[in-house]
Amino acid sequence: MSDDAVDVGEYEDVWVFVEEHGGEVMPVSWELLAEAAKLTETTGDDLVALAIGEGLETVADEALARGADRVLVADDPVFEPYRADPYGEQFRAMVEERKPSIVLIGGTHTGRDFAGRVAVPAHAGLTADVTELDVDDEGILQARRPAFGGDVLATILCEEHRPQMATIRPGVFEAAAPDPERVADGDVVSVDVVVDEADAISEVLEREVGDTADITEAERIVAVGRGVEGDLEPARRLAEALDAELAASRAAVDEGWVDGARQVGQTGKTVRPDLYVAVGISGAIQHVEGMNKSGTVVAINDDPNAPIFEHADYGIVGDLFEVCPALADRLEGEPIQEVTG
Amino acid sequence: MTWTIAVGVKQVPDADEVGIDPDTGRLDRASAPAVMNGPDRHALEAALTIRDQVGGEVIAMTMGPPNATSVLEEAVAMGSDDAVLISDRAFAGSDTWPTSLTLARAAEALEADVVVCGEETTDSSTGQVPPGIAAHNGWAQLTYAEAVDARPEEGRLAARRDVEGGYELVAAELPVVVAVAFGEFDPRPAPLHRKIYGENDFEPTVWDAEALGIEDEVGLDVSPTSVGRMETVDPVERKGEVVDEVDGLLEPIAEVRA
Repeated sequence: MSDDAVDVGEYEDVWVFVEEHGGEVMPVSWELLAEAAKLTETTGDDLVALAIGEGLETVADEALARGADRVLVADDPVFEPYRADPYGEQFRAMVEERKPSIVLIGGTHTGRDFAGRVAVPAHAGLTADVTELDVDDEGILQARRPAFGGDVLATILCEEHRPQMATIRPGVFEAAAPDPERVADGDVVSVDVVVDEADAISEVLEREVGDTADITEAERIVAVGRGVEGDLEPARRLAEALDAELAASRAAVDEGWVDGARQVGQTGKTVRPDLYVAVGISGAIQHVEGMNKSGTVVAINDDPNAPIFEHADYGIVGDLFEVCPALADRLEGEPIQEVTG
Repeated sequence: MTWTIAVGVKQVPDADEVGIDPDTGRLDRASAPAVMNGPDRHALEAALTIRDQVGGEVIAMTMGPPNATSVLEEAVAMGSDDAVLISDRAFAGSDTWPTSLTLARAAEALEADVVVCGEETTDSSTGQVPPGIAAHNGWAQLTYAEAVDARPEEGRLAARRDVEGGYELVAAELPVVVAVAFGEFDPRPAPLHRKIYGENDFEPTVWDAEALGIEDEVGLDVSPTSVGRMETVDPVERKGEVVDEVDGLLEPIAEVRA
């Protein structure tokens, strides 16, 4: 046992960070509440939501409606817009004062940005990109994450330090549904704000958020990869015909063709639509890992050896610039133009 | 005033060369050649960009065994002015907590104004080390950086950060840790004379845990996390049916939509 190990018995409750920006809550927050409720069923702990921002009344009530027993609220203009240093400092002060056993944070850019500013000074264990959660009889969190490109699922433990922290990949769990009747039974606790604007070491000069598409909730997805060569038109057309959301592999996001909010895979989101159409996606394991919970998978690729075909229910080997419009035509009830493939 | 810009680089197994062990069917990482973590090349480019803007010195630092010197030689070939190898058996078993402590102390020892890292490594992909360095030192951080703008007159570095659904422009006081977003800052090629210098004449400074005063604060014992079980992920069974024409897709699609 190391010198910094703590008396784990002093720590209780499961905390879920509710990430909000200007009143908009990131959907992963509600996914975590649902999953954390399963943990507290086992441990008998309280389920505590934690919100940091400005003007959080509605957010706090929604957290209660969606399953929290209690909401800790740090409400101050210093927290809007988000910055790593005020968030980290406030969150850390709350952790050190109230000693939670488990802390779950959505693995968004924001969550991954500040989680370390809590875990490092608290000497807490922090597991990244968790896709499965469980807790044993002794309250030890079993945080599972894909390793080696998704080939292996590693269980990460934090036995002697507290809190046990984890960032959780968005889209992996089902969100908790709100029950307005729960609100009256829960507590909203306003906590002391320990951060002063004068101490801030960063300043947000501009912030522009447009496309906040939540592909994790989509029933149908058309996803593009490097094969579309920057031309999204065929995929957009097909998405329209299918009433589907557009998504992308990391390659297409890195090229700047599609916004990062729509990225599927290990470094993006996990999706589980009824229908997933992969257009010009080779099917690297890191991508497949984010879409293999989909219902029916269709692959369109001109390379018959592309790995994506092994991860698809139906494949068509052909030029996507011909296949996509032809399929869109047929879906829209057009007669067969020309046989492709 | 010029800046000292430290760049964290790491030697990892080449993700493109990791083969399958024919006996076990598992990934065989041990036989893959060791290379510089891909995102770190982009971090180096960002560091060189900052040096171009403000002047100063770029110093690569890596934590690893003695043979990790090769990634430092590569960093020097790309344009780093100097490099430090941080190597000690005491580091074995370190998770991201002592790893970021080590790099934080090294950055302090270098009197770095800016530390630049890649977004994450390809072998453990936690992305925790850059914010960890900032947290250990109480420094500012700019993660998911897509562009950088040195503002020496303000004592700040500004970066355009990729956030879900958009971007933000954030200015941070020095010293600051920057983590470069995937795919940004295309690395410049290393000129031949720098490659020759890196491989033949360059010797990195070598520090051990004691040199950084952290011999009791690293390794397995101070790492809060440990790896428990490793389970193979069973691939999801798919039909794998290839159809010849688009009409073959209509029925399965209709079934899903029903």
